[in-house]
Amino acid sequence: MAVTAMYDYNWPSRSAAEFYGDAQLVHVWWKGNPFFVSAATFPFPKEMPFGALVGLCKEFFAADPDFDPASMDTARWAVDKEPLTPDMEASLVANGVGHKSLVQFEI
Amino acid sequence: MTVSPEKPARKLSMKQRYSALTHDLDWAPTYVQEEEIFPFTTFEGIKVHDWSKWEDPFRLTVEAYNKYQAEKDRRLYAVLDGFAQSQGQVGLTDARYMNAMKIFLQGIPVHEYNAHRNFSYLARYANGPGARFAALCQSMDELRHAQTEIHTLSHYNKYFDGMHHWHHWTDRVWYLSVPKSFFEDAMTAGPFEWLIAIGFSFEYLLTNLLFVPFMSGASFNGDLPTMTFGFSAQSDESRHMTLGLEAIKFMCEQDEDNVPIVQDWLDKWFWRGYRLIALVAGMMDYMHPKRVMSWKEAFELYFEEQMLNGLFKDLEYYGIKPPRHVQWAIDEKEILSHQVYWVLYQFSHAAAFSTTIPNAEDQAWLEANYPETWPVFKEVAWDKAQRVMDAGGRYFNPGLPQLCTVCQIPMGFTEPGNPLVQCQRQSVYEGERYDFCSDGCQWIFDREPTKYRQAWLPVHQIFQGNCGGPGGLPAVAEWYKLGPNDGAEYLGSNDQKNWLAWHGQTPKEA
Amino acid sequence: MSAPTASRPVGVDLQENEENRALVEAIEADNDDLTIRHMPGIIRLTKNGRLVINQASVEQRLGRPWETHEFQMAIITYFGEFVEWDDDQIVIAWQH
Repeated sequence: MAVTAMYDYNWPSRSAAEFYGDAQLVHVWWKGNPFFVSAATFPFPKEMPFGALVGLCKEFFAADPDFDPASMDTARWAVDKEPLTPDMEASLVANGVGHKSLVQFEI
Repeated sequence: MTVSPEKPARKLSMKQRYSALTHDLDWAPTYVQEEEIFPFTTFEGIKVHDWSKWEDPFRLTVEAYNKYQAEKDRRLYAVLDGFAQSQGQVGLTDARYMNAMKIFLQGIPVHEYNAHRNFSYLARYANGPGARFAALCQSMDELRHAQTEIHTLSHYNKYFDGMHHWHHWTDRVWYLSVPKSFFEDAMTAGPFEWLIAIGFSFEYLLTNLLFVPFMSGASFNGDLPTMTFGFSAQSDESRHMTLGLEAIKFMCEQDEDNVPIVQDWLDKWFWRGYRLIALVAGMMDYMHPKRVMSWKEAFELYFEEQMLNGLFKDLEYYGIKPPRHVQWAIDEKEILSHQVYWVLYQFSHAAAFSTTIPNAEDQAWLEANYPETWPVFKEVAWDKAQRVMDAGGRYFNPGLPQLCTVCQIPMGFTEPGNPLVQCQRQSVYEGERYDFCSDGCQWIFDREPTKYRQAWLPVHQIFQGNCGGPGGLPAVAEWYKLGPNDGAEYLGSNDQKNWLAWHGQTPKEA
Repeated sequence: MSAPTASRPVGVDLQENEENRALVEAIEADNDDLTIRHMPGIIRLTKNGRLVINQASVEQRLGRPWETHEFQMAIITYFGEFVEWDDDQIVIAWQH
């Protein structure tokens, strides 16, 4: 519904894709492990290969003392809640990852 | 307080005095239209037929107001002086208690001031004299609260980190965007929505959850100034509660067409206020070394019992129903404080307060008060964090969190009934995705997307380069004006070292 | 239909201090079935239906002049509504 106002109220988003240039915000979520209290948000280049995202995850999630990086190789992925078998060589965008997309995995 | 034993008889009753000095000073304009004098009170669709029906049971006049407010201030400042003179800060239960008050100072006085401003606006722009005078008193009260909070806590600034740039932090630091966005949302709404948002939902429904257990907690932990300030402010709050209740009743009584508008606002503002108050849950259960009651208990007493079983039975008469997402809040009461403090623990390296793993005594209390949910958190969070400490480290989240677009809190709240899975809600509006922590926040966004897409989300702004830098988190910390001793881990901090020194103790081996 | 107003709790939290002893005693004397609960710095008075504070009753126990406006100095919070506040009496109840 429209915002009730004394004039025609319409203001743009402060987090729009255009403010990030060649990057976009991506939320990365290890579903089922609340040691990381929430998903993490990153400004990833749109053309970054999905495999590079996985590589960054292996470093990031090592903050959990029980994390085994090798377990990510058999992780089950989803993008915006749709299951995905990622093409590791292809870019994030080619894998369907858009601005503020949720990239989740379960181990 | 001295009063002459021979009181002269009053010429007018309280009711007559009140009327003479408020309603009877009003006049109907003869050479301008009412709408020109009061241009803001029709656009929201709220219909008012008779402003003279606005009642103020306190029946205050300026004379009574000034007399009692002056007395409250005299009593408060006497306590602040005594505490300072007696080195009262040494008598706190523990220095780590102060972290709760750092968040208080950083997150509240500026918004008391904002409330002062908005009630000042109502004191001019509400059509009815009864409403204007009540708003004027509340405006003065809120200014008083801003001032007294700052004065109360300024003593501690001499002895503890994390307090020096509270005003600067309020407008910039990530967790403080939670109260900032809440108040600015209300301030940019219309006057009637403000009254339901702040006057009713915040100052009636939720106020006791903020102030009363917190102030009792201050008392329990040796924080005499905060306790005294709290009780001093609460007596003003009873007038604010009355104004809020009068606002909702007045709107519902003036025209039944107002009821669905009021209900929608109530649904929105209960949820926004409830998410804001989540910070208090974390503070009560984890930051007070000695606790009066748990968040769960406080929620049951001050909300479920007093509001749902008391107030809402009364409001049924108007066709008002309990807030839309209230069941979610009830379901969360066992888990909310754990989640909030877990957020604060892993991000306090970027904050102006420190955190630490609950000690053995804390854990025993948490187990006793949350027998279902504490063991889950202990296993997935605290035992692991302890292992990291034992290995010589300290767990901080290595990145920045996904934030809810509406409440702006890191999305650490979980699906009802599933404490291991964070709640993920998304809406797409005009081709852009937005994220939410709950059904409640999503509903609020979907109702007014062009308002909430303007959210200044700290994490998004940092990545746009709007928060200092370049140079990553150190540059952001500089832009925040955070000093090296203001946050992170409590054990080994300056606050702890000073505390031990004041008590003639030496730090234990790490 | 909501539960009748006479059976629903109303109450007030007061600052627990020397000055308010007389106030509490007066309220206790003038209200049947009053429940009193102590928390740090706070004394909570609850009853079902209607809670009454009588000016004369308070003043007599306090031993000095007391007007109902002064009740503001004692109150921390309340639940119910102020259905009456006059020179002689304050009443907290639910209206519906």
